[in-house]
Order: sequence, then structure tokens, then C-alpha cells
Amino acid sequence: MKKPTIGIITNNQYGVFQRNILAGVHEIARTNGYDVLIDSLAEDPLHPRLVSLEWQKLTGVIVIANAASDELLRHIYESGKPISLVSHRVPGVPIPGVTSNNNQGIAELVRHLVKGCHRRKFVYIRGEINQDDGIQRETVFRHELMRYNLAAEEMYFVRGDFDPEVAAASIRELLEHQVHFDVILAADYQMAIVAVELLQTAGIKVPDDVSVAGFGDAPAAQAAGLTTVSADIIELGRRAARQLIGQVNGLTIQGVTTLSVQLMIRETTAP
Amino acid sequence: MTASKATREQLRRHNRQLMLHAVYSGLADNRAALAQETGLAKPTVSDLIGELIDEGLLIEVGRGQSTDSGGKRPTLLQFVPDARQVIGISLDVDRVRGVLCNMAGKIIAQHHANLLDIEGHPVIDIVQHVINGLIAQLDAPLLCIGIGVPGIVENSIGVVRYAPQFGWQNLPLAEILTDCFHVPVYVANKAEMAAMGQFAFGMPNDSRSPVVVLLNSTIEIGMVLGGAIYHNGGDISSLHVSRHIGQHSETGRLETFLSWPYLKRRAELLRQEHPNTTLPITGLTFMHMQYAALHGDVAAQTLVEEITDILAQVFSWIIAMLRPDHISLAGGIVDLGETVLNRIMDKAESLVQPELVQSVKFSLAESYELSALGAVAEALQNELGLVR
Repeated sequence: MKKPTIGIITNNQYGVFQRNILAGVHEIARTNGYDVLIDSLAEDPLHPRLVSLEWQKLTGVIVIANAASDELLRHIYESGKPISLVSHRVPGVPIPGVTSNNNQGIAELVRHLVKGCHRRKFVYIRGEINQDDGIQRETVFRHELMRYNLAAEEMYFVRGDFDPEVAAASIRELLEHQVHFDVILAADYQMAIVAVELLQTAGIKVPDDVSVAGFGDAPAAQAAGLTTVSADIIELGRRAARQLIGQVNGLTIQGVTTLSVQLMIRETTAP
Repeated sequence: MTASKATREQLRRHNRQLMLHAVYSGLADNRAALAQETGLAKPTVSDLIGELIDEGLLIEVGRGQSTDSGGKRPTLLQFVPDARQVIGISLDVDRVRGVLCNMAGKIIAQHHANLLDIEGHPVIDIVQHVINGLIAQLDAPLLCIGIGVPGIVENSIGVVRYAPQFGWQNLPLAEILTDCFHVPVYVANKAEMAAMGQFAFGMPNDSRSPVVVLLNSTIEIGMVLGGAIYHNGGDISSLHVSRHIGQHSETGRLETFLSWPYLKRRAELLRQEHPNTTLPITGLTFMHMQYAALHGDVAAQTLVEEITDILAQVFSWIIAMLRPDHISLAGGIVDLGETVLNRIMDKAESLVQPELVQSVKFSLAESYELSALGAVAEALQNELGLVR
């Protein structure tokens, strides 16, 4: 008899985040006797293609971030097919999802940078502004600044798009304009690593002159000595798979499962 | 069931709880010590321990030291916190929050649903769907469920007498959820659950009678007395207080002066008096108020001062009547920060004897999950007698 199959829609199965989600989903799928089919849309980022997965024939679908249009997600949900979203939500449609705890993570990073490192002049490297994690992390950052009686002008919120190259261009521009700041917080660790490299190349001491931290963690962040909040993305993948299998087994689920994060203090931040 | 059978079962359950609590809290770690600690006969202890080991709640972990008088080395017992999991739920007007914990209160998963995002669904359905979200993440059998609800709750029978935010009146919530999930369900007021959360997981061990003042859509107080929830706290939104604005004085319900619609209206009036205020016209939060007040914004300072006036009255009543050793302020209002807490204490000193105020510790309870964690603690307390 054919095995039940979980379909995964992602925009790039080789990205660090996506790869770890897939590892977590594969682990739980295998344990529970499911096959996994992946539809990766943008292995050539210049020529992304449309979703080709025949989701109607699958047992359920997991969609990573904003890989599929809200219209398609709504359509899958309304068809009654079990579906779980990773780090994404569709306004007005109660599709269940999983996400790392952005509120807790950003709050802990800002507390560490302000209280522990006595930094007050922030630059924030933004994530993708149409993606749920990017929106949430920035909203919480602005909120937390107020908690410590701080403000940042809009010029200190620079574009990053969760893309190290975009973040690098923004940091170069800040350095060219000799903007004064003493801390950079990035919406993900990859952008923060690039920021550390550029600062050091420019002769700016990290962390003496500028402290740097980013959201999320990986061996690359550890190797760079970067302060982060560690979000276990493989576990996030496991949670997504469990949530989907729960629905396949008859559970009606609404809302979002969140995964706690942990502050990892390393060499790029100091008092 | 006969009365004697019910009594025997209750006694057995009580004795199991004694065993588990003694091992969990480190009072005894072997059968002989358990018999001594609990006063139960050794064969009874052995039976019960055998049962608890079979259920996976206790394990044997090698041999201990002989007593001074010599004899056989005792087999050591250890509690297994991961053998079961517990779900705690808290309801607010705009959100259902849930946590999945092991039996030591360690959070395994969190799940929430925004009620405003899913309008049109009955709240009771959403509660079930949030519990389902946590059940999907279980990796041990589910032991029980605790749930904290704003409003008036008859805890002993699990009935929500009155929760106007959800249109609930005499709702047998425990029965509905037990039928659905087939495990025991414990229901209490959510401020009471928050106090239990503070007692069990949030504060130093020397606090025996913490009070939580929870300010969200309602104003509620919860209290723990000697390790158990005092179940006559709850919603105090309808209490009357007086307030002064300049020469003008007025009396009204707490919920009137501390409700969001009132605070927004008041901010609007203050905006007219102080047009340079930085308080936002839309999306006002407690965080905006404290930020603007700290930056010398007169409208924000006035608004914060008015809130502290009211809360000082609430705190002084609590201190005078209940004599707690610790008061925590919880809910969205904690974003007003420590400065505001200090102002409330200063003002409370002018309303009751200062010595009474000085004998109480004060804190902000910043965890959004406090009531849900308290619901876990309350469920564990009822089911296994396991809190502190």
C-alpha cells in the first residue's frame, strides 16, 4: 500500500533555515511512516517557478515562510487538506503554524545589549518586510527600545531582507556616511556576521566600538563568535511535522505553536 | 459507588500523593524513609511504590547508604518529571494561550490563538483547538489540564459562573473539556492561576502568601495561602474607587477608570490640553505612556499618575485586608515599568500604615505565560500534590 505523503513547499531547499526545517520534518515523518515530497521553487533565484506540487493527492502540506501565495494557502485550507505554515500566517485565515518566539528573542537581545553592554545607539538590520518573522522582529524591536527609554530614527533601520548581500550594502552605506552608532542588531545571524566582517575591515573594533548581535544561531554564528538567540530550527521542523500529523489524525488546530529561544552571549558583544 | 469504596479510593489517591510529594520534594528517597515520613505501614508503602514505578512516575536508581544501625542498603527512588505532561491554558479577551509542560513545570511547547483573527468561532471551540495544538506536540501521556478564566469561577465543580467577555454564564467548562480530552480538568479564575504560577515557579521559596493583581481587560486579584489557591479572589472590576482631577473628584468602578476605552478617552482629553504630547492617536499602549512620561510629556505623566492613584488604592486595600508577603502586578500594565511600581508603593504608604506597606515585597510579573503556568501548577497540585 502506498505510504501517506507530506508535501513541503519552500522557496529554496538549500537555504540554511529551510534545510534545517526539512531535516526536522523528515525525522518526524520517517518515525511516523510518512514519505516527504519537496517542491522547491527558487533554486535559481532569478527564475523562480510556480508551485507544481499536486497537493490534492498528498496527505498534508507544510509551507515554509512565504513560499506560496496567500491565495493558494487559503485554497488548500478551505479544501480541508491538512496544512501547517512555518514562520508565516495569512491574515484572516486561521491556518495553524509554527514559529520561533520572536518576541522573547528580540526582547532578550535588546535587554542584553542595553543592560549588559550599556549600548544605546542602535542600528537595526531589517528582515524581509513582507515576511512574518521580519515584521514581528522589527515590531518587537521598536517596542523594546521604548522600554529602555531609547529611540532610533528611521535612518538607523536599514534594509537587509534576510540577505547578507543586501545587508552588506546597507552597512557600507552607513559607514560611507560616517553615521555614529555603537550597536548593530540584525534580524538574522547571517546578516550580523556580514556586519561584523565589514566593521572589522573598516577598522572598527567589535565589540569595543560597536557590539553586534543577530537572531538565530548556527555553527557559522558560533565560529564568528556572534552573540545570538538560539532558535532550534530543526526542532521547529519537528513541531511543524507533528502539528500536521496531528491534523491528519483528526485534531482541529487553530493558532500558532511557538518555540522558545535562548540567549547565546559570545565575543561580539561586551560592556 | 458506595460511600466506603469512595473513601478507600480517596485514601489511596491521597497516599499516592503523599509518596510522590515526598520523593519529588526530596523529603524521602527510599521505602523505609517514606514509611517514616508519611506514617504509613511499610507494606502499604511498598504496594503504592510498586504501582507508581509500574506507571513510570518513579524509578529505582541504585542503592543508598546503610543506616547507622547497619542492615540492608535501601533502594533509592527518583521522581520522573518527564513521565507525564500537563497542559495549562489561560484565556483573555483577545487571546487564548497554552503551555505544555513536564511535571516539573518545564515548558515543552507553547501555543496561542488570537481571538480577533478568528472571529465568528465560539471561544470554547478555540480553547479546544489550542489544546489540540499542544496535544499534537505531546511526547508523553497527558496527565491533566488546568485552565484560567477571567471572571467568576466555582472551582470545586469547574463551572464558570460569569465571564461576560465570552458570554459565559454557568458554563460547566471542566465537564465539557473532560468529555472532550478524557483527562481531569481543573478550572479557576486566571488571576488565581497567576498567583499559583508566581508561587510555584516565579518567586523565592520564602513567599507563602503571594498576591497577583492582574490588569488586562478586567482587574482581578489572585492569592495563594500556604501553598493553595485562595478561591475567593477573582474579578474586582466592579469595586468603586474615588479619583481626583484637579479640584474635581469623582467616584466610579475600577473597570471604568482602568479600562482601555476610558484610558484612550482620557488620553484624548489630555491631548487637547497638551497639544504637543507624543502619545499616539491610534495604537496607544502602556509602553507608549511610560516612554512619553519618561521624556517629560505632561499628558503622559498625568495619565500615568492617575493610573498609579487608582492602583495605590487597590494595593492599600489588599495590604490592609489580606496582609500578603508579596504583591505582583501582572498583565499589559507591567510595561509601565519599575518606576510606576515604586510610585504605587509610595502612594499606598499614604493610605495605610507605612510599616504595613514596607513589610510587603513588590514586583512586576513580566511573563505572558504566568496564568497558563499557574494552571499547570494548579492541575499538578490537585492531581499529584506536587507543587513546592
